[in-house]
Amino acid sequence: MRYLRLYLYFLRFSFSRSMEFRFDFFFRIFMDSVYYAVNLGFYGVLFSKVPTIGGWNFDQAVIFVAGYLLLDAIDMTVFSNNMWQLPSLINRGDLDYYLVRPVSTLYFVSLRDFAANSFVNLLMTIGILAWAIARYPGELGPASIAAFAVLLLAGCFLHYVLHITFLLSAFWLHAAAGVQQLFYVIREFSERPHQIYKGWLRQVLVTVLPVALFASIPAHALFDGLDLALALHVVAVAIGAWLLLVFVWSRGLRAYVSASS
Amino acid sequence: MTPRLFWLVYSTETRKLMTYRVDFWITAVLNFVVSITVPYFLWTAVFESAGMATVAGYTLHEMVLYYCLAVLLGRVVRGSDQLRDISTDIYEGSLSRYLLYPAGYLPFKYAQHLANLLPSVLQLALLGPAIAGVIGLPASVAISWGSIFLALAAVAIGNALYYLMSFTLQTVAFWADNIWSLIVMMRIAASLLGGLLIPLSCFPEWAQAVLAWTPFPCLYHLPVNALLGKSTFAQAAAGLATSLAWCVLFFGAARLIWRRGTLQYTGVGI
Repeated sequence: MRYLRLYLYFLRFSFSRSMEFRFDFFFRIFMDSVYYAVNLGFYGVLFSKVPTIGGWNFDQAVIFVAGYLLLDAIDMTVFSNNMWQLPSLINRGDLDYYLVRPVSTLYFVSLRDFAANSFVNLLMTIGILAWAIARYPGELGPASIAAFAVLLLAGCFLHYVLHITFLLSAFWLHAAAGVQQLFYVIREFSERPHQIYKGWLRQVLVTVLPVALFASIPAHALFDGLDLALALHVVAVAIGAWLLLVFVWSRGLRAYVSASS
Repeated sequence: MTPRLFWLVYSTETRKLMTYRVDFWITAVLNFVVSITVPYFLWTAVFESAGMATVAGYTLHEMVLYYCLAVLLGRVVRGSDQLRDISTDIYEGSLSRYLLYPAGYLPFKYAQHLANLLPSVLQLALLGPAIAGVIGLPASVAISWGSIFLALAAVAIGNALYYLMSFTLQTVAFWADNIWSLIVMMRIAASLLGGLLIPLSCFPEWAQAVLAWTPFPCLYHLPVNALLGKSTFAQAAAGLATSLAWCVLFFGAARLIWRRGTLQYTGVGI
């Protein structure tokens, strides 16, 4: 309850702060709109050459793309500002200010900055997903859509966990720009249907670096149904990733050297 | 700005860049490997689905080579991607000291930008021959001195064009409170319309005709296709001429906005 109240304070501060930067507010909406158009346009051009990719036709690919755009919008709204600031908090010793507060430091540094200027984009992506599902010519039952939504939320959680775990390398490397860049490059695997990857790479992408679970596996569950083994797999990977994050975070704090006077 | 000062700014910036070596190698090797792996699997799936030897004028081998070169040459065109330093100078007031320097701001910053290219040029020099060794050159691709010259010209013009586009957008910072989104938007749009995400020959013909008049093809499509010999000399020359015209246009726009912006700029302290 205390954490929920704290989050409501974060929201209030974030909305009032975003109103100070009005140009940025509109630029960001415009930027994300271009990002959505580019992603849909990419698959539009690709499917003008072939009927299916990895077993999915254009209508299925559009739902998949809409899924990862929604995931990206949730990340941009809830986590991204915090993630971008984290390496500099560690390097400059500003983490001190959060360590002395009577709440979980990980909670604070992960959620304190809600990007209110991305909130409109979040609503836009929900609209894109609703449009993509509505235009789908096949049958999609409510149970499948509900399973898709739950798995997509699990994908958001995994995205956050992986992203912050990469960034925590700043405790040791001190320059995390390269690692941050690496995460974004690895994330590119999640922007294509997981069926296109073969052999051990596909195994890696659903277990060790579970980026296929962000949006591709949820879309797979939507079209082909969610079985118990897949559900258990997602839960196990999410728990494993969270435990890894907690471990790296505690190790990182031990290595952390405050730089403040 | 004298050539000696230009060189001094360049060499100082280069030394700063090489400070974080772990960062450099992560960016260089791992990013490249992943950047190539995703298109490789995607296009393998596309070729399987198409059931044809060529798609949009490329064999699978040529397509893989296209992406390798687009990633490596594209990095040289874009530079370090640290394209917010001009707007940061404006926001933080550090522009004041540059205004006192006995050198123009635009050439000073361009010298720094060129220095930031060094890692990308090193990556191209190291990974380029390695790729040729690992995946080999398709028989249909004949790299000649002429194609190398055309590709280098396209990279040089593309680099100047990308910088000028970015500079022009960043000078909006004189009026707007945060222009980060504009820069990212330009990069995202350029990746699709310039041929980094997908070769431009995959687009419908009408779209290709329109894109030929935009500044984007010179960023990725033109250097790669010139090197692979996929563009005729006339096509490459027309592309370069269009890009040069865009350079002139953006240079004029940048100077105009810069002059207007500095009239209302306020900086406190140096």
